[in-house]
Amino acid sequence: MTAERTRHFHTAGWIFSAAILIAFLLGVFFKNPARRKYPEREPVVFWHMWSGVWKTIVEDICVSFNESQNQYEVLPLSVPGDVADSKFLLSVAGGAPPDCMVQWNQIVPQFAHNKVIAPLDPVMSPEDYIYFKETTFPVAQKIATVNGRPYCMPLALDIRACYFRLDHLHEVGLLPPGAPKRITDKEEFEEIAALLPDNLEELAEWGNRLHVFDNKGRIARLGFLPEWLRMFAPAFGGGFYDWEAEKLTLNTPENRRALRFIADETTKLGFDNVVRFKSSLTGKHGADWPFALGKRSITIDGQWRVQQLKQLAPDIAYTTAPLPPPKKGGKKNAGWVHGNFMIIPTGAKNPQGAWEFIKFWIGQDDPERAARFYTRAGWLPPRPQIANTECFREYVKENPQFQTFIDLLDSPNIEPTPPVTFQLLLYDLIKRADESATRGTLTPKQALDNLEEQINDEIARKEGAPHEK
Amino acid sequence: MKGQALRGYLFISPWLVGFALFVAVPFIASIYLSFTQYDIISPPVWVGAVNYKRLFSEDPLFWKSLAVTIKYALIAVPLGTVVGVVIALLLNLEIRGIRFYRTAFYLPSIVPTVATCAIFSWMLNPQIGLMNGLLRVAGIEGPAWLSREPWAFYSLILMSLWSVGGSMIIYLAGLKNIPISLYEAAIVDGANAWHRTVHITLPMLTPVIFFNLVMGTINAFQYFAQAYIMTQGGPEDSTTFYALYLFQRAWRYLDMGYASAMAWILFLIIMFITMLLFKTHKKWVHYDS
Repeated sequence: MTAERTRHFHTAGWIFSAAILIAFLLGVFFKNPARRKYPEREPVVFWHMWSGVWKTIVEDICVSFNESQNQYEVLPLSVPGDVADSKFLLSVAGGAPPDCMVQWNQIVPQFAHNKVIAPLDPVMSPEDYIYFKETTFPVAQKIATVNGRPYCMPLALDIRACYFRLDHLHEVGLLPPGAPKRITDKEEFEEIAALLPDNLEELAEWGNRLHVFDNKGRIARLGFLPEWLRMFAPAFGGGFYDWEAEKLTLNTPENRRALRFIADETTKLGFDNVVRFKSSLTGKHGADWPFALGKRSITIDGQWRVQQLKQLAPDIAYTTAPLPPPKKGGKKNAGWVHGNFMIIPTGAKNPQGAWEFIKFWIGQDDPERAARFYTRAGWLPPRPQIANTECFREYVKENPQFQTFIDLLDSPNIEPTPPVTFQLLLYDLIKRADESATRGTLTPKQALDNLEEQINDEIARKEGAPHEK
Repeated sequence: MKGQALRGYLFISPWLVGFALFVAVPFIASIYLSFTQYDIISPPVWVGAVNYKRLFSEDPLFWKSLAVTIKYALIAVPLGTVVGVVIALLLNLEIRGIRFYRTAFYLPSIVPTVATCAIFSWMLNPQIGLMNGLLRVAGIEGPAWLSREPWAFYSLILMSLWSVGGSMIIYLAGLKNIPISLYEAAIVDGANAWHRTVHITLPMLTPVIFFNLVMGTINAFQYFAQAYIMTQGGPEDSTTFYALYLFQRAWRYLDMGYASAMAWILFLIIMFITMLLFKTHKKWVHYDS
């Protein structure tokens, strides 16, 4: 090596070392780029999956909590929904989890079983626990409880019901000419409710009259199409879990009837035709919701749509109603329920701070304050104390369609996903059975036979493996 | 010399440390984990060969995902090779604007996968997509590409051609390396264009074809992102590729031990196929000029 090359080599080495040193020092001096408003307080790291307008509301709750006391500072972070679970798991495995996180995936029993999340009773005072048991709707307690202990705190419930476009119903003469053209108050809401179908068969018939096809036979507007076995099984008197015996009930005559109904209604339209129509819909989460665009006349969706329609499409005339039961052997006010719930991971550094934040969110000390946030987001409260506030009553008065969901809250016929340790697998396999029957690949009976067999295999495997019990 | 070697190692030490921590250690750890029940939170529990037994005898989706992946490798890799070579041959012609064409054909391969998937989701939309729009002009009602069997699978095959520019550029570099004297000699001997392609170009290109074949096969067995984004394994598991199923087992059902066993089976399959390709390459790959 020549002297000049050695000199260059040394110079490059010095520059490289200096760059590393500067980077290190910058890291030391600017180790926390996020500015904290209350650096003297205990931080409560909070993850959620909301974006858009919901993110703003959630951040406002955090600000409100931070201003309400002087011990904790909640630091919110919006995590992209599709990677949230893996990010969360890695954070727990890596020993740096958030202090709490809002979830809506089917994970509570599985995460509880795997000790990814901690039970909440150790951070609850006896009064908190009594408050939870005595005031939370039974269905919210079902979602929260695993092996008799609360592992999450439901913040809001997601309940589905039927949405009806009144302009479409009037257009095809399904409503008498004198019926209200739009809902402005409770009386009109009730007047319309009395005119809606009271059984599934009639609802399907209404759907048939509301379908619109183009000149090539393609669906231009979908009147009504039953979807989701998990939604319809309870309406047919079935469901997937016997809560008293704590046993799965997958392949029952009621569930088979429900799946048969879904498959038959899809077959009438042609599965291919339905797939084409659905894929032509550009979006489903905001103002381009097919119902709002007039692409669907009757659809099943959650309560948050009431608030969305109010904000994004206030001119649309619509009403809501519970899914009616079939003529024979069904149950009223039935369906599938899930929700948004707060979990505290194992290894959280500040579980007590997280719990205080949860209590603030659910309005344990002040339901009226909680109601202001719930009505902004269109959330369905998990306890009647919020639903009965002045603020919430005012909201329902302005949006009578929301009453449908309030009425469903304490229905014994709405069912969450069974609380088994393989809940996510069960949820996926139910969807798979639903898909196979709807596509016509399998008959409803074959699809449910398969489902039952796969789940029995999973149970047998778990029973045969002591480490998995 | 010793000091130089030390300095060399010091310079590559960031990579060496990264490799040891993020590749070598997990690689070796996954052998152990494949014999355990592990959910990433609780300590792994030794279960012997149970995961492997379950995979081979109790899990139909394992076999289905393997079949889907092998089918994809068997179709997409040769198809990508043929298309890549043909495009490289065309882009090797000295015509006006050839640099523009080369850039245009290469460009899709550097478009991020997610953006590519978004474009194809629209193109393959049965009602409002470009593909069925074009077919409608010809009087054909195209299928629901991503929602029907077997079209979803073939849509992903079709999509794989979109990024053929990456291998095409390597073929093009290979073509540029073929000595011109060989073509001159062939022309003197009276060989026409077809003969020159078959007897000079393709044999001289075989080292590059071999390289792309090996890399393409390895990539095909690791095929994941497009299926994850566009079909999520559907319809009815027809696009549940091996890596996608492995991911679901690991991160959706927290079955890390099982997923590790799957990863090791995949590793052995890829090793076996690569070895097979290396065994055969002496018969058809020409290194001499």
